[in-house]
Amino acid sequence: MEIRSYADYLRSLSDDALIALFEARPELTSPVPADIATLAVRASSVPSLVRAVDSLNKWQLQVLEAAAVLPEPFSEKEIISATDKAAKFVISSLVDRALIYGANDGYRLPTNLREILGNEIAGLGPASPKKLKLKDLASAPAAAQKNLDAMTWGPPRGTVSDVKKPTPGLAWLLENGFVSPVNQQTVVLHREAALHLRGGKVHRTLFITPPEISVREVSPKVNQQAAISNITTFLRWTEEVLNFWAQQPASALKAGGLGVRDLRDLALHLGVEEVCAAFIAEVAYLAGLLAIDPDDRILPTQLFDTWLSQPSSIKWQNLVAPWLITSRMSGLVGRDGSKSVTPLGPELDRSSSATIRRATIEVLQANPGGAPSLESVTATVQWNLPYRRTGGVPAEYIEWTLREAEWLGLTGHGAISTYGLELLEGGDLASVDKDLPATVDHILIQSDNTAIAPGPLEHEIAQELDIIADIESRGAATVFRFTEASLRRGLDHGRTGEEILAFLKKASKTPVPQPLEYLIGDISRKHGKLRVGNTSSFIRCEDSALITQILKDKKVELLNLRRIAPEVLISSLEATDAISILKSAGYLPAAEDSKGLLLSGPRIQRATSKARPPRIIGEFEKLEREVLELAVRTIRTGEKSSAQQSTLRNLSRDALGSLPRNTASETLQILVKHLRETPNKSLSIGYADNNGLVSHRIIDPIQIAAGMLQAKDHASGEVFTFTIARITGVATL
Amino acid sequence: MSDGPLIVQSDKTLLLDIDHPLSTECRRAIAPFAELERAPEHMHTYRLTNLGLWNARAAGHDAEMVIDTLIKYSRYAVPHALLIDVAEQMSRYGRLRLEADPVHGLILVTTDTAVLEEVIRAKKIAPLLGARIDAETVAVHPSQRGAIKQSLLRLGWPAEDFAGYVDGQAHEISLKQNGWKIREYQEHAAEGFWHGGSGVVVLPCGAGKTIVGAAAMAHAKATTLILVTNTVAARQWRDELLKRTSLNEDEIGEYSGSKKEIRPVTIATYQVMTKKKNGVYAHLDLFDSHDWGLIIYDEVHLLPAPIFRFTADIQSRRRLGLTATLVREDGMEGEVFSLIGPKRFDVPWKEIEAQGYIAPAECIEVRVNLTEAERLAYATAEPEERYRYCATTRTKRDVVQELVSLHAQEQILVIGQYLDQLDDLGETLGSPVIQGSTPQKEREELFQSFRTGEISCLVVSKVANFSIDLPEATIAIQVSGAFGSRQEEAQRLGRVLRPKADGRGARFYSVVSRDTIDQDFAQNRQRFLAEQGYSYRIIDADDVFQGKI
Repeated sequence: MEIRSYADYLRSLSDDALIALFEARPELTSPVPADIATLAVRASSVPSLVRAVDSLNKWQLQVLEAAAVLPEPFSEKEIISATDKAAKFVISSLVDRALIYGANDGYRLPTNLREILGNEIAGLGPASPKKLKLKDLASAPAAAQKNLDAMTWGPPRGTVSDVKKPTPGLAWLLENGFVSPVNQQTVVLHREAALHLRGGKVHRTLFITPPEISVREVSPKVNQQAAISNITTFLRWTEEVLNFWAQQPASALKAGGLGVRDLRDLALHLGVEEVCAAFIAEVAYLAGLLAIDPDDRILPTQLFDTWLSQPSSIKWQNLVAPWLITSRMSGLVGRDGSKSVTPLGPELDRSSSATIRRATIEVLQANPGGAPSLESVTATVQWNLPYRRTGGVPAEYIEWTLREAEWLGLTGHGAISTYGLELLEGGDLASVDKDLPATVDHILIQSDNTAIAPGPLEHEIAQELDIIADIESRGAATVFRFTEASLRRGLDHGRTGEEILAFLKKASKTPVPQPLEYLIGDISRKHGKLRVGNTSSFIRCEDSALITQILKDKKVELLNLRRIAPEVLISSLEATDAISILKSAGYLPAAEDSKGLLLSGPRIQRATSKARPPRIIGEFEKLEREVLELAVRTIRTGEKSSAQQSTLRNLSRDALGSLPRNTASETLQILVKHLRETPNKSLSIGYADNNGLVSHRIIDPIQIAAGMLQAKDHASGEVFTFTIARITGVATL
Repeated sequence: MSDGPLIVQSDKTLLLDIDHPLSTECRRAIAPFAELERAPEHMHTYRLTNLGLWNARAAGHDAEMVIDTLIKYSRYAVPHALLIDVAEQMSRYGRLRLEADPVHGLILVTTDTAVLEEVIRAKKIAPLLGARIDAETVAVHPSQRGAIKQSLLRLGWPAEDFAGYVDGQAHEISLKQNGWKIREYQEHAAEGFWHGGSGVVVLPCGAGKTIVGAAAMAHAKATTLILVTNTVAARQWRDELLKRTSLNEDEIGEYSGSKKEIRPVTIATYQVMTKKKNGVYAHLDLFDSHDWGLIIYDEVHLLPAPIFRFTADIQSRRRLGLTATLVREDGMEGEVFSLIGPKRFDVPWKEIEAQGYIAPAECIEVRVNLTEAERLAYATAEPEERYRYCATTRTKRDVVQELVSLHAQEQILVIGQYLDQLDDLGETLGSPVIQGSTPQKEREELFQSFRTGEISCLVVSKVANFSIDLPEATIAIQVSGAFGSRQEEAQRLGRVLRPKADGRGARFYSVVSRDTIDQDFAQNRQRFLAEQGYSYRIIDADDVFQGKI
């Protein structure tokens, strides 16, 4: 097959090659292009090429740059001579990505690609309009040589005082055409000359292999211990953040996100730095454990309750997985001068985040048993992802990723943990549940009114203790303190003194100290002398006789009245309803302002809205093989139909001219005859539309009825009803 | 997972499981760098503080040892951030050193020029410094030795002081061990201090801090200034020194409100030192009146702020701080560290009790029901009068009387806050009352007859809060206190902790009115006792009357 264009090249690819292309450039399949022509347009569009170029490593990029400065078509040999022998292996990867394609006469680049690589690729100026005598460069005068030295390795432009009054060296260069003026003060060295001076190479230094990684040894034991501690801590932090906000919901700012003060409170509550608190909140948000309600309150979602009941491994996985793929960079919070960048806010998305994060973690994965130094990880990631229009991968993104990986426990003491490896490779995480400290089902109560849970406490006991005691110290163990206020809180939650004591006796491994028993006794004895309750409305009257009358009146039974004092009745109905019922029963009630009536809400709150984790921007998922195969099949089908269509279109253009012009009655005759004698053959017709434009159609007639022809139109493949009067001519094919 | 006795919390507290077989070993291992915060019956709480870690550095422990110890005994994985923090804090100590230089006098030397650059740029430090000598050295005005240490500590770069000490005017002092013997821990404490040069020795009440002071003086063999809280304490120091050392009466002077003697060993009170005359401290000259070789600060946790200021000026003299606790209610622990010196010796209270040097004590709270009339009066009292009212109710008097008669065979102290209540009790019990206005002479006579057993019951006001020595008191009954002061509770308990001749256990009663703020305050005070490992129980006043105690 002759390959004259990019589309032709793509058309020539096998299914496997197309799948390889889609794997390397997943965005090409969203949505799946209709046919190869569409695919070609998309694959050579600027945004798609930018993505493809961004995915190259430094060495691949250098080879691509070398290719881009060569005149088209070029050969593999030319690329190798402009770079290095090793380029051979890289060219195929560029071809796989369709960044270089083989035409009949050699390799070519898709249009637009040079534009993306920049105006002065590898510091080379424009090609010369005329042929240069490159050999003359060797005999350049010393002054000219000096000018050449300055421009050879780029930038190719040089500033001069005035092109019209050149220095002797420059005059020589201009004269021989090696340099051309750009404007009054600028000259540019031509590509051919520069390449010649560079000895035929495009780059001064080639980065063929990734940088060495310097690793600090971490013993497996230290690594595991640190990872366990990190995982435990992170799970605890997450739980605490959400419990904290369940009790005192933070409010989102108008511009979105968590305010500085709320963040500070959170950091204080957790005892961590603000950047860390911001990260914990972000991860909970990504995992859908918290949501911002329409009233701007930040609250845990129902999902949080589900999460709580899961084993540690699943909990952990649910937190790490969304972090791996998110486009949000929580490290941006609180950086100097970025006050508007808030956790949970809209400003945290960076399109390259997930790619950088993945690249960083890959370095960790490749170096188990050691903690790679920040410098070497940064160098490696920057080698892997050299081409960012913003000027390379920001080193701080990598630093944040390493920091966050440590917080999450993917790493322990800087080295990837066995748990981290398992999680990243989709392995079995049962070891997490096994190695994390086992939950304890008891507490130790001491006579200084503290209770110590000597390990992670079972959820039910922890929840109950949370109600009747204050937490004094957190960590692997928890120290609770019983105070008058905390015990009163327990009583407020409906526990009785006996219940609290029974619970403590059951939960505690040590006897409950006598002073604590006294304390609980004292408080529960005093508690509840004042009664407060919820009611919807009250009815009061200074005449207690009238109150008695109402209470006994069968007509107002609906009110479900209860007498709480001689002069006061309460009803569970709303005041307005109560009033109307009383009125219809013949009483004359007046409404009273209900100001000051406080309804206390439940202490632990949940968001009413569904979890809506933030959208991931700028990243495309790696697609499954089956999906890609499906995409190829779709394109192939589309291709077939559009090929058919274009044949028909060509046919019809020729056919329309050769069609006879028939009158309506002639047409009818031909059609009838055709249907009778050769019903399976197609017909070529001219058909006038509403505007009188005649188009050519190829049809399979089905039947004629009431001046209409029903036929299958080949172009659309659908059965269509034609008005016979509008058929301008008929011919058999 | 190891199954150690220690749980390291991320908030830098350490929980030690006392019932664990390794707990004693672990306690010894962590004691040098962690401060014991609470010691109730099952789990002791220690805390890692910067000062504690620097103290450990000063004592020659390094970060690696601290981290190894934590990891070795920890039950769960130790939070990584905490380990890093420990290493970082500990590495801060010793990067700056104060040294004596033959040419420049006092110099600040560093092993890390970046740190030096940071500190010489600090606003508070710059005026204290002289010329820059080289990249690692800068001269310090000799008079600012204390001030620079204070400021550096505040910056988080505590300096190690190697500038040495003056010997002071020599004066022969030795211990006179006839009929008694210095205890092993006392000797260790004195030696620990002497090798460190300056610093604080932490020993519980009743553990014989005076002897440690005397032993330190025997090391120094130089003129000594002893600063104590009040006159009674000053007299006790004098008596002890006469008994335990080779010093005679002419060699020991008292410098107080009533006497102004300056002798080779001079005992001065904080009160007189901080007394102002026409707006200036009138007795400051005392510090310069002798070429002191040693200055002893008794009860460092009570040291008044002005004394710190004087202390900053005498950094070339050896300083010994004695105290039962490094915790100061005013939070000036950092000043103690930088001006007097790091902790040089420390033994937990319970350990000394276990060795039999402190009597075990039992704490009992007696709850008294107020009568209906009293309750009504309490409810209607002015808020500021309420405590006084409920602390001094008449009902308490009957209970105290009953308690005293139940312990008729023992030496009893009745301690209270309000003088009219004490007078009333004294009258009811037929016992003498000692209060602030009681003349010194009469006080000492009463104490003496209490010691000999002539009197078995004394009613005392808060004068008993300070170091008076009543060896044979086995029962203390507290009827009212200074609200919820925990320090006071500790001091009062200290009254009965002195070892008894027959090894009997002591009892500490608190009589408290039920359902009043008296009870709330009592709870606060008792928390301290519980944290020290003294569990207490609560009984009803009725139990007392039925003899069920």
